[in-house]
Amino acid sequence: MSTLALEDRNRRTMLMAFAIALSMLGLGYASVPLYELFCKVTGFGGTTQVASAAEADLAERLASSAGGRTFSIRFDANTAVGMPWEFRPVQVTDTVSVGQRDMATYIARNNSDEPITGTATFKVEPEQAGIHFNKIQCFCFTEQTLQPGQEVRMPVLYYVDPKVMDDPNMEGVEQITLSYTFHRAITD
Amino acid sequence: MKFGENALKRLHILTILAAALTFFAAPGAALAQDAESVDAVAEEVAAEVPAYEYYGPDMIKGQPVDGAINIQPQYSPIGQEGAWMHNGILMYTMFGISLLILGLLLFVMIRFNKRANPVPSKTSHNTLLEVIWTGIPIVILLVIAVPSIALISKQYASPPEDAVTIKVKGYQWYWGYEYPDHGVGEIISNMMPQDEARAAGFPAQLEVDNRLVVPVGVPIRLQIIGADVIHSFAVPSLWTKLDAVPGQINETTMQVDEPGIYYGQCSELCGARHGYMPIAVEAVPMERFEQWVAAQGGSMPGAEEAVAEEAVAEEAPVAEEAPVA
Amino acid sequence: MATTADTFQAHTDEHHHDADHKPGFFVRWFMSTNHKDIGTLYLIFAIFAGIIGGAFSGMMRMELAEPGIQYLHTFATWFGAENPTMDQALHTWNVLITAHGLIMVFFMVMPAIIGGFGNWFVPLMIGAPDMAFPRMNNISFWLTVAGFCSLLASAFVPGGTGLGAGVGWTVYAPLSTTGSVGPAMDFAIFSLHLAGAGSILGATNFITTIFNMRAPGMTLHKMPLFVWSVLVTAFLLLLALPVLAAAITMLLTDRNFGTTFFDAAGGGDPILYQHLFWFFGHPEVYIMILPAFGIISQIISTFSRKPVFGYLGMAYAMVAIGVVGFIVWAHHMYTVGMDVNTKMYFTAATMVIAVPTGIKIFSWIATMWGGSIEFKSPMVWAIGFIFLFTVGGVTGVYLANGGIDNNVHDTYFVVAHFHYVLSLGAVTGLFAGFYYWFPKMSGKMHSEFLAHLHFWIFFVGVNLIFFPQHFLGLNGMPRRIPDYPEAFAYWNGISTLGYEITVVSVLVWFVNIAYAYTMGKKAEGNYWGEGATTLEWTLSSPPPFHQFETLPVIEDKDHH
Repeated sequence: MSTLALEDRNRRTMLMAFAIALSMLGLGYASVPLYELFCKVTGFGGTTQVASAAEADLAERLASSAGGRTFSIRFDANTAVGMPWEFRPVQVTDTVSVGQRDMATYIARNNSDEPITGTATFKVEPEQAGIHFNKIQCFCFTEQTLQPGQEVRMPVLYYVDPKVMDDPNMEGVEQITLSYTFHRAITD
Repeated sequence: MKFGENALKRLHILTILAAALTFFAAPGAALAQDAESVDAVAEEVAAEVPAYEYYGPDMIKGQPVDGAINIQPQYSPIGQEGAWMHNGILMYTMFGISLLILGLLLFVMIRFNKRANPVPSKTSHNTLLEVIWTGIPIVILLVIAVPSIALISKQYASPPEDAVTIKVKGYQWYWGYEYPDHGVGEIISNMMPQDEARAAGFPAQLEVDNRLVVPVGVPIRLQIIGADVIHSFAVPSLWTKLDAVPGQINETTMQVDEPGIYYGQCSELCGARHGYMPIAVEAVPMERFEQWVAAQGGSMPGAEEAVAEEAVAEEAPVAEEAPVA
Repeated sequence: MATTADTFQAHTDEHHHDADHKPGFFVRWFMSTNHKDIGTLYLIFAIFAGIIGGAFSGMMRMELAEPGIQYLHTFATWFGAENPTMDQALHTWNVLITAHGLIMVFFMVMPAIIGGFGNWFVPLMIGAPDMAFPRMNNISFWLTVAGFCSLLASAFVPGGTGLGAGVGWTVYAPLSTTGSVGPAMDFAIFSLHLAGAGSILGATNFITTIFNMRAPGMTLHKMPLFVWSVLVTAFLLLLALPVLAAAITMLLTDRNFGTTFFDAAGGGDPILYQHLFWFFGHPEVYIMILPAFGIISQIISTFSRKPVFGYLGMAYAMVAIGVVGFIVWAHHMYTVGMDVNTKMYFTAATMVIAVPTGIKIFSWIATMWGGSIEFKSPMVWAIGFIFLFTVGGVTGVYLANGGIDNNVHDTYFVVAHFHYVLSLGAVTGLFAGFYYWFPKMSGKMHSEFLAHLHFWIFFVGVNLIFFPQHFLGLNGMPRRIPDYPEAFAYWNGISTLGYEITVVSVLVWFVNIAYAYTMGKKAEGNYWGEGATTLEWTLSSPPPFHQFETLPVIEDKDHH
């Protein structure tokens, strides 16, 4: 084999190797949206589902035909470090039947003397409940600005999907926790 | 030296007693007065509040022992299970395999060294042998996997609805404990200064100023979250370890079999004082736990229902005062 | 270190092969394109980095010898802090553990085992005149050096609580983002970028060389196992490192440019960083150990005077380890709060790795079985490797169990486990390879007595350091703490004693190198005799500056 042919082959192998490396680099970046998507679709890591009102109606009808199991729902509120808001649920626990639409309310109050924008992260425990926990309306991720001393009520409209009754992972689960954490938005 | 320590210990107990007496006397009355102005039921509760005395060093159960070579004794159902898996299966497997390999190595070194076997064989394949040493490890792994999977699944048993709920929050560099169902607000738990701990007969760097008080024999729902960076809540003698991740709550069930003090340390690097944010769990019988809750100004969830109307009456105005946006 | 280089060169100079046209000193060592010279540079660099990383572990063991904080304030002043506060001193501890981990992984084991031995012996073993891209090879090396400088620089600039980056080698967000203000963290991250880029180029070079530059007749299934191990390792590097690069670049932008990939306040997820890191991190541990597997295979076969038992099984076991290594990463994250099914999956998948690893261990023993074993120093190191790696392997099976990991996660048990496979495994493999090939590289014989002495002191020392750490971990001692409750004092004391013994063994090693260069006998081409059958033994010691100008032809008989 002539030297020239070898050089060509070498260059081709090198380019292939670089292509592999580049695609892995791309995969690394793509993992950010992919992971988010994966969590949203599968409820991985206790990610809640977002449902439309129509889906909620359907779920309610399904549930009433299937007969009720109830869940205790715990509402948890946190503020991240450096976030001078007071944030708490109006009610710590509530009991709902599967498929039944319910509203929970959180109260947030800006205790500082400057307007502060907050964003919330959320999670459901136990994690396998995430796929069954549907929110119809919520304040997740929407930035909220509170004036000094201002207090707002934040409603969450949610229901537990009737499919929960067919999920072996949900056997023995009696209480589902919906947890929110308010962070100070990075904009300021 | 020892005599001095004992004397100090006694002194410490005296201090606690003194504190308790003072609590009963002057501020107790003051508290009762405050309560009176709120409502009558609360006053009754406040008046009944007995002082809560924390356990002394004699109640320490879960702690490391100098020179120990095995896991700490376990004081929880899941810990018993884990300890069985550890002692009954994995230890034998690990030692068995290591000794087997050591034995084989020694054997070939003696039997097939140059002097004992001057002419090497040329064998380099034996399909049967290769199948065997692929197959046997698979069997061993399957044997391990069955109890292992069972252990994981038990560990994930969701706490029942009425489990005692405690919110654990990891900060740089201390822990906060909150009892949302008992109306006990966040209790900050810092490491007790090491000299003070030693003087009182507690293990330095493990003892804290405010312990995490839990009832024994009932499931406890631990909800763990980080405030700033990732921490990890760990108590080795209760087979409990879960990360405190900022913005994401994690839940696990913990159950303590016997009253006692159980120590642990933060187990995820969280900055400079990572080594100095210990965890001390004080597990007490239910009546004592009720006492403790009362001493913190809270009430048991059952009792709360009894005074539900008052509670609502007390809480409602606060919510209504606020301008609804 | 420069002296080693000088003597090295002085020696080859006096050799005067006719095909040996060697460039002058500067061009030869700073603009080197010769795979053997670059291999030598890598080895010298790795020894240098190893001394620094080892000194850091010495400082750590000093501090851990007794409960309480004794030396950290002094150490903090060494990095330039004036009158350090307690927190600054404690931060110095975190800098030490971070630097020790990063140096040993990226600047000691990897450069030595892949850059050093890989560069030296892959072309020789496959009958190639050089690497496919000699100039790229040079860039790889100097990128690694630049990365090391960046890492060292990070220790002297502010990193939040004190000077330097104190976040652990895993660089978890948010401690590494919002938790570490100051340029130190950026320097450390940039150092990983440089070292990573160097390694990716190196991996490309190895893959191209092994695929295209084999001598006629050297089919893939005839390649020595060391070459196989480097090939698998190169693919692991190529697939894993870019993911790390992406993750740490996101850390950098999170820190400096306002992105929120891992910051919950902007909708990011700190757990995602851990997934990305360990997607790289788990293959990374195989990157460090696989070439050691290759070296051990060569040595066992040489000194048993038998071909490797189950050659194909051995080669594909490495491929299997590499493949499975990519789907087990979350066993490093059992306590982050993952759901039950995920934990069960990662438990099962992780245990699968024990099967190909078992195949390798049994095949090594079967290679010795029926052999005519000569206990030359490399063989003694190799047998030591098999045992120590087995111990590290079984504790790995222990840790694979998600339910058990709940008790020992982030304790010293984990520290003991990964030092058994890396410090005692990979490093023992490195020393085995060193004694196996040192005369080939230098042309001088080392002292067999000193090499054996080195082994025995090292063996006692490292076991004394790390075996007690199993006990500490089981008893509940967390990792990464500079001070511990009195109840951990006993075994920590023993561990520090073990460190002191290990230092003595390293001194014996240096004496041995000095001996070889001053009094060592001249090495023949094949100084290990008939058991050594791979192509490097057909050349002189050291091999000519340019070897295989006429390519060797491999006959159709066993050559592994």
